[in-house]
Amino acid sequence: MRRARSDETDEVDDDTPRAAARSRSTPVERWFAAQGWKIFAFQRDTWQAAVRGESGLLHASTGSGKTYAVWFAALQRAVPALGKAGPVLTAPVPIPGAAAKRAKAINQTGLRILWITPMRALAADTARALEAPLSALLPAWTIGSRTGDTSGSERARQLRSLPSTLITTPESLSLLLSQDDAAARFGKLDAIIVDEWHELMGSKRGVQTQLALARLRRWRPDLMVWGLSATLGNLQQSKDALLGVDRGVLVQGKTRKKIVVDTLIPEHPSRFAWAGHLGLQMLPAVVAEIDGHASTLVFTNTRSQAELWYQNLLAARPDWAGRIALHHGSLDRAVREWVELAIKNGQLKAVVCTSSLDLGVDFAPVERVLQIGSARGVARLLQRAGRSGHSPGRVSRVTLVPTNTLELLEAAGARHAVAAGQVEQRPVPETPLDVLVQHLVTIALGGGFRSQELFDEVRTAYSYRALRPDQWQWALDFVARGGQSLIAYPEYQRVVPDADGVDAVYRVPDAAIARRHRMSIGTIVSDASMQVQYLRGARIGTIEEGFIARLRAGDRFLFGGRMLEFVRVHEMTAYVRRATSGSGAVPRWQGGRMPLSSTLAHAVLDCLEEAAHDDYSGPEMQAVKPLLALQQQWSALPTARKLVVEHLHSREGHHLFFYPFAGRLVHVGLAALISYRLAQRRAATFSIAVNDYGFELLSATPIDIAEIFPASDMGGALFSSEHLLEDVIASLNATELTQRRFREIARISGLVFQGYPGQPKSTRQLQASASLFFEVFRKHDAGNLLLTQAQTEVLEQELELQRLRETLEELRGRRLQVCSITRATPFGFPLMVERFREKLSTEKLSDRVARMLQELEKAAAR
Amino acid sequence: MTANHSSPGGALDIVVLGEQLSLLPQRAVLWRTRKMLIVADIHFGKAAAFRAGGIPVPHGTTRANLDALDALIAAHGVRHIAFLGDFLHARTARAPATLAALQRWREAHPDLTLTLVRGNHDQHAGDPPSQLAVAAVDEPWRVGPLALCHHPQELAGAYVLAGHVHPVVRLAVGRDSLRLPCFTFGTAQATLPAFGAFTGGYEIGGKQDDQLFVCTDDRVFAYPRPA
Repeated sequence: MRRARSDETDEVDDDTPRAAARSRSTPVERWFAAQGWKIFAFQRDTWQAAVRGESGLLHASTGSGKTYAVWFAALQRAVPALGKAGPVLTAPVPIPGAAAKRAKAINQTGLRILWITPMRALAADTARALEAPLSALLPAWTIGSRTGDTSGSERARQLRSLPSTLITTPESLSLLLSQDDAAARFGKLDAIIVDEWHELMGSKRGVQTQLALARLRRWRPDLMVWGLSATLGNLQQSKDALLGVDRGVLVQGKTRKKIVVDTLIPEHPSRFAWAGHLGLQMLPAVVAEIDGHASTLVFTNTRSQAELWYQNLLAARPDWAGRIALHHGSLDRAVREWVELAIKNGQLKAVVCTSSLDLGVDFAPVERVLQIGSARGVARLLQRAGRSGHSPGRVSRVTLVPTNTLELLEAAGARHAVAAGQVEQRPVPETPLDVLVQHLVTIALGGGFRSQELFDEVRTAYSYRALRPDQWQWALDFVARGGQSLIAYPEYQRVVPDADGVDAVYRVPDAAIARRHRMSIGTIVSDASMQVQYLRGARIGTIEEGFIARLRAGDRFLFGGRMLEFVRVHEMTAYVRRATSGSGAVPRWQGGRMPLSSTLAHAVLDCLEEAAHDDYSGPEMQAVKPLLALQQQWSALPTARKLVVEHLHSREGHHLFFYPFAGRLVHVGLAALISYRLAQRRAATFSIAVNDYGFELLSATPIDIAEIFPASDMGGALFSSEHLLEDVIASLNATELTQRRFREIARISGLVFQGYPGQPKSTRQLQASASLFFEVFRKHDAGNLLLTQAQTEVLEQELELQRLRETLEELRGRRLQVCSITRATPFGFPLMVERFREKLSTEKLSDRVARMLQELEKAAAR
Repeated sequence: MTANHSSPGGALDIVVLGEQLSLLPQRAVLWRTRKMLIVADIHFGKAAAFRAGGIPVPHGTTRANLDALDALIAAHGVRHIAFLGDFLHARTARAPATLAALQRWREAHPDLTLTLVRGNHDQHAGDPPSQLAVAAVDEPWRVGPLALCHHPQELAGAYVLAGHVHPVVRLAVGRDSLRLPCFTFGTAQATLPAFGAFTGGYEIGGKQDDQLFVCTDDRVFAYPRPA
């Protein structure tokens, strides 16, 4: 964001340049006037609140002047003269010598404003925007950034003296808090801006930010905090999470009102939707769209999908080489920055990207936004739509490109939801103890803490407002004594009190532990990733270790838009060379899949209800009609009134398909619950496939439909809410869901340390996998609260227990129709070919292995 | 290596160079004629080493290892235990509580012969304290036609039993899959699964000519040989 955009200047406003030029204007007003810009009412509201010392949350969309709303708020807070009528504060062109002297003087006053950004990639651009007014207004003011990308020498320089304004990420801020002189460094801080707070608030990074703010507020009770947020279903909670319950003001900024959502309708919609399919049949239509516009962003949902689309676009239009680019989070920073700059300069015809371009800087030249596949949620769709339409008189428009026929349903649903103004809420994590454990060590490093004081401070953070003393004591014991408070481990050394009693100050005495903690601060969790680098030396990006581990020398894979040949791995780096030709594997990154939001899932169900009444309105529903007709013919059409269950016997085994249309997350829980209840009646192993529309249970042993759905009950017992919590927890233990969740918790709480190149042997002896910790905790410390947290997170975040309960209730209200089918239906097919599967087993392990081995033998004999 | 057949207790017997070895589901080998129990990678004190490094691991893993040994000693009349390397996890594994537990265990079995074939972790951790009366030897340690080692290797005139790898294999059938610790038996050498309660596993692709035996909690199964 650099300036108020011209398409917004058509509104009536009294802040004309002439008005601002009046002698009673403030330096800030004069600077706006000098740029030929007007001041928006919401900007003035923000500044006035800031001058009063109020904190707040500004709700505005990108490119609306929000950056300068909060930037000048912070500046006027730090330097009140900027907001008062009076003479020019400084000469517009300062004399270099004098400026240098002043710079030194101000630098000695230290850090005044902290700017927190969720993405380090945004830091450079933000710095440019923030610097623009300074030469005229505050020439001595310095701006620096400190992120994971900042060089070692720059970090060292900053440690000697922080700039007046520091742009940083939550992780880097935590690192600063872990310095033993942290209190002194932040002693002059006046204001904090949290950019893109909506991106942070729902994650543990947001919790980390809350904790850092609690710390800084304690040192600076008058600290002003402003957050920036895009549209959310729960803005009020967003404000509370940042500022504290019922604190601060909510300022309504400019948000885009005109947003058009439409769909590229395939010419011959297939009647079978294959989830793994990448929708390349839409390639010609996408090529035509790109061709017809100066600059297009093509959003995909996964990095693998981005790689494939980029490759196929190039194959379709070799003449676009050099004019289209690829952008995703695993590419090297230099590559990403080049692409971002090229978009801004209008040099690129199209960029195939992932959520890596959801945030941040404006790309004014972008005319067109395409979304490959479903956007999975309304908020995300709106955000992406907002990437286009910055030229005068244009609306923001996003065009959906369905990758399979069923996504036409989602497209129809998305249009309904946008029209109805339904936007998702973003839940704030509740009492995540792993983040707290990490924070305790951070603060113990950053000058140490007293238990009661830090407990009080942590409770001021929204996510910990309900933190109980016993949970606090557990976390303290975990870092200070190694776990159970009743057992003393003399060898345990992490955080150590310097005395007995309540006045004890907890610190980290061991330098090696301090180093390891600082290396692993952060709550973003991904699988261990490896650098990918040419033999000659140029870096391309990073790929998950798991993918690299499967490669053999000579194997080919697609990455960074190029076909590469794997050569070898050496010290956390995978060396590659360009492959001459041929095809290769595409890396599959973890976590690429977003679940369909509840908001969108319900919108889809509404569309199906209409279809059941033969009401196919809109081009999407018209196009999906043949598929729905076939579904109806072979089986039945699930709606908000009817639950359809299909039963199929195939070579793979016995399948049950359920279609509740409640979204993927709920289906995971529902599938685990139903299969658990079935497996309680008779020991069995189920392989579970899930998508946003339904789920499949596959069993090697026969399923007796009459027994599961007796005429007297019709599934009522299966969908009962009775003993729901017990059954869900039992079903979780029979699957690996909790164990997978624990991976992240183990890393954040410092159990799992990923290591780094050139690490000493001694740290390698401290490496163990999260699953190993999980096992050991389960066996030897079942009361460990991190285990409880893993379970709670699965229940609340992954399975959405409340939604599960509501869904069960809805399902009991629906009429059940069980269809025996002879081949997979249009709805069943995508589930049947789904490769990622959860397992639930109540079989004895050796019985299960014996059965599997027998099947293997049988297969070998065939 | 010749044909195998199931024996009681879920074990599986195989014959290597005329010697009958029982593969136990408890992830150990029993050499019945010598009343010798062979275990690999027990990693005593690993939890303590983690704690010393500031990583809170609950106690109980040493006890679990010793209990598992006790059960096997009682069930099979074991007279001699051979540890195929990595007896102690690290120098910091020599925590007083860990060593005291080992000492008490040793005193409960005064007649047991204990031999450690040194592994890579033992190089750093040092030999077991002398009071434990564990004879530490370098690999290969030849016993009859077998050579007991830590690192997998081939030796002329002997069949090698080794550890170090912590092998596990993925058993996948249709849509179902499991990760199971396993023994691998090749023409000239075998590897044992890790015995330790706090040890991970390394997924092996399964060399085509190796015969795999997978462990569940109560039975050992032969993994079908690839056709």
